[in-house]
Amino acid sequence: MTRTAAWSALALLMSAMLIVATGGSPGEAMQALVRGSVADATAVSVTLLYAAPLLLIAAGACVSASAGVFNIGQEGQVLIGALAGAAAGLRLALPGPALIAVVLLAGALAAGLWAWLSALMHRLRGVDIVVSTLLMTFVAQQVVALAVNTPWLLQESRLGRATVLPQTNKLPPGALLGSLGGYPGLQLNTGLLIAVAAAVSVAVLLTRTRWGFRVTMLGLNPTAAAHSGVRVTVVTGSALAISGALAGLAGAVLLTSPLSTNRLQPGGSLGLGWDGLLVALIARNRPLLAIPVALLFAVLRSGGSFLAATGVPYYLADIVKALLVLAFVAPRARWGRPAVA
Amino acid sequence: MSALTLRGITKRYGAVVACEAVDLDVERGEIHGLLGENGAGKSTLMRILLGLETRDAGTILRDGRPVTAGSPREAVALGIGMVHQHFSLVEPLTVWENVILGDTGRIRRSRACAEIHEMSQRYGLPVDPLAVVASLSAGERQRVELIKCLRRDPAVLILDEPTSVLTRAESAELFAVLRRVVRSEGRAVVLISHKLTEITAATDRVTVLRRGRVVFRSATAATDVAELARQMVGREVADAAAIGLIPAAPHAPEKAQGDPALRIRGLTAPGLTGIDLEVRPGEIAGLYGAEGNGQAQLGDVLCGLVTPDAGTIEVGGIPVDLRRPGALHAAGLGIVPEDRHRAAVVPAMSVAANLTMKDLGTRVWLDRRRLRRRARELAAEFGVVAASLDAPLSSLSGGNQQRVVLARELSGDPRVLVLAQPTQGLDVGAAEDLHERLRRCAHDGMAVLLISTEIEEVLGLADRVLVIASGRVAGELRAAEATPEQLGMLVGGGAG
Ligand SMILES: Nc1ncnc2c1ncn2[C@@H]1O[C@H](COP(=O)(O)OP(=O)(O)O)[C@@H](O)[C@H]1O
Ligand SMILES: [Mg+2]
Repeated sequence: MTRTAAWSALALLMSAMLIVATGGSPGEAMQALVRGSVADATAVSVTLLYAAPLLLIAAGACVSASAGVFNIGQEGQVLIGALAGAAAGLRLALPGPALIAVVLLAGALAAGLWAWLSALMHRLRGVDIVVSTLLMTFVAQQVVALAVNTPWLLQESRLGRATVLPQTNKLPPGALLGSLGGYPGLQLNTGLLIAVAAAVSVAVLLTRTRWGFRVTMLGLNPTAAAHSGVRVTVVTGSALAISGALAGLAGAVLLTSPLSTNRLQPGGSLGLGWDGLLVALIARNRPLLAIPVALLFAVLRSGGSFLAATGVPYYLADIVKALLVLAFVAPRARWGRPAVA
Repeated sequence: MSALTLRGITKRYGAVVACEAVDLDVERGEIHGLLGENGAGKSTLMRILLGLETRDAGTILRDGRPVTAGSPREAVALGIGMVHQHFSLVEPLTVWENVILGDTGRIRRSRACAEIHEMSQRYGLPVDPLAVVASLSAGERQRVELIKCLRRDPAVLILDEPTSVLTRAESAELFAVLRRVVRSEGRAVVLISHKLTEITAATDRVTVLRRGRVVFRSATAATDVAELARQMVGREVADAAAIGLIPAAPHAPEKAQGDPALRIRGLTAPGLTGIDLEVRPGEIAGLYGAEGNGQAQLGDVLCGLVTPDAGTIEVGGIPVDLRRPGALHAAGLGIVPEDRHRAAVVPAMSVAANLTMKDLGTRVWLDRRRLRRRARELAAEFGVVAASLDAPLSSLSGGNQQRVVLARELSGDPRVLVLAQPTQGLDVGAAEDLHERLRRCAHDGMAVLLISTEIEEVLGLADRVLVIASGRVAGELRAAEATPEQLGMLVGGGAG
């Protein structure tokens, strides 16, 4: 713990030095970060909007990593979720709440199936899951690009003589996630509620159910798990599908939350898939721990866009993020010469 | 002047004192036995010597000069070489490649091969320099290790439990080679073992370690097995098999009754050809053979990890569908596999989880209260010593981990209990305890199959001995009639 703190301090020090090196002032950068993320109700609202998909993705990553299956294709799964959500939201004429539910469900199902394809490829052809989930991200990007560039698929309708962009129509208001309660200036989006519920459910699933016990066993010792009667392919496949489904849900939440334009666009995942993976990494695959970590990453996201105003390149937020990840991972690495048997 | 002198070597791991003020003198031209039960600190002492561990206190003298090896490479320069308890060869490489691994300068295959040839002639260690290590038997691998070690011309050669993977005949050959090494070349050899008979047969002087301390030293000729046993364990031991001795009188055979509880027919899998065997309720059947003759593969099949190419397994007269995960367990077969950490336990999970992982119930939700209660009962019944049931299994000693596996496997009241190398890594007390439990299981009508490479264990426990060689059952003897010589012949593939 103290080692982690020391490494984090080192990471922050290095970040400060980088800011100085690029001609900025660490104090100002810090202020900008705070101003953009937590200084007022509006900033907090934006931070919380980012936290929701991050947490969903991280909770999913906890499931697959617990099973010892490394799904790193969340970025693509988010896109597929958003795509399915958009298709459902634009094509189905359902009353409000039902439409929202169907949009979210479609996103989760499609991305779950998408991730499960990697398990299938592993089963049939022995394709490495890390590799296939990663590569499927690039496939997903192309699928989305195709959908939003093809008029008879999901590309936006032509209105008069306006040029059409590679994006879908705006989702109907009935398909959008609303805010909880009414606080002046502060928006508590339903998405966050869904995300927290998902994280708690994953925690319960992993620790309190027979399936979760098997997932944990499989992740820690696959041979012993097989010996104890765990159906390895089934458990692997379901863990992968659940992690994909949660990433897909994140995609659908993103699509229907005020964070986006409520249209599917090729870059619509905003790179949150990668961030969510990092959240799980820092939270050491514990879904409840992922809640505060997701908030921290959300702060860096929302505050990061304010950095530019201080003359600090905004991608420094990414570097800070990377250094933080290293700070959390480094204490766990073994130092010195390797043990000899 | 001694070739090697240790003075006051002390090493602690947290609260565990692995070595305490150990003094040891090894002379040129002698084979020095280092005897002690598992966990006595033998390996630790030698690892300190080799520079694989740092010592907390003490001095090491080589030919009277104080030395400290910081790494095995430096130890080689000091003239100290070691053949480890677990081989350290690179399997996909050939023999000559392994032998010269770590050399610097130009690599010449022909010269390496010629050198290996010359050495195998000189020491009587036949080995093909061009063979791939993965294709070699355990005995052949050991020869490669020895050549590799001797080639560096060590003044002191250390062998850590070298016979654990060898047949009796191979062990005898090894001892002959060691004799040659000390007699004609004047090297010093340290032979580590927990087997009394080997120490008395092969060494000139012996030092006994118990819980990290030297408790006894003597010329081998001036002592005997009984004395050494007492010194090693610190008390009288009734169970001869537990201290690596062949029991004086074969025990009265149990009455095996009824139809076989376990029947294996024509079992064929990679490494196994047409295994047939039966075990009846109330008997302990021993499957004896040198390591690497198909025991591991048979263990994998019985663990449900490998689906055989052909053959059937019946438990209680009912054929088991081997493709279904957990089918053997469900049919009433409990198993304590050889490599516990690989297949039998999840070391990072809690003791409680490991005790109950095969009995999670049928509902979606875990009944955590029931599982806890069950774990507590089992731990108490089997005398598992753990700081807490929530502690990770890896924090337990080898004997206690073994008890966890046995407790779990017996908790389902199996008809058949299979154990592979069950006492490997256990101290004498734990081994005795286990043997007693097995006898009781058989007495209560369980069919017990004991897969072991220890002849003493098989003869001390089994009512019937089957011999496995090259993946086949090579013969079968009643324990009362079996002698080590007969078994040795069968193991070597001789007449049955
Ligand atoms: N790396 C280690 N960390 C903690 N304890 C150890 C370590 N290596 C050995 N021990 C402990 O030291 C004692 C002696 O072990 P070892 O030297 O392997 O015994 P032996 O070779 O005589 O069986 C044992 O109690 C063992 O658990
Ligand atoms: Mg040892």
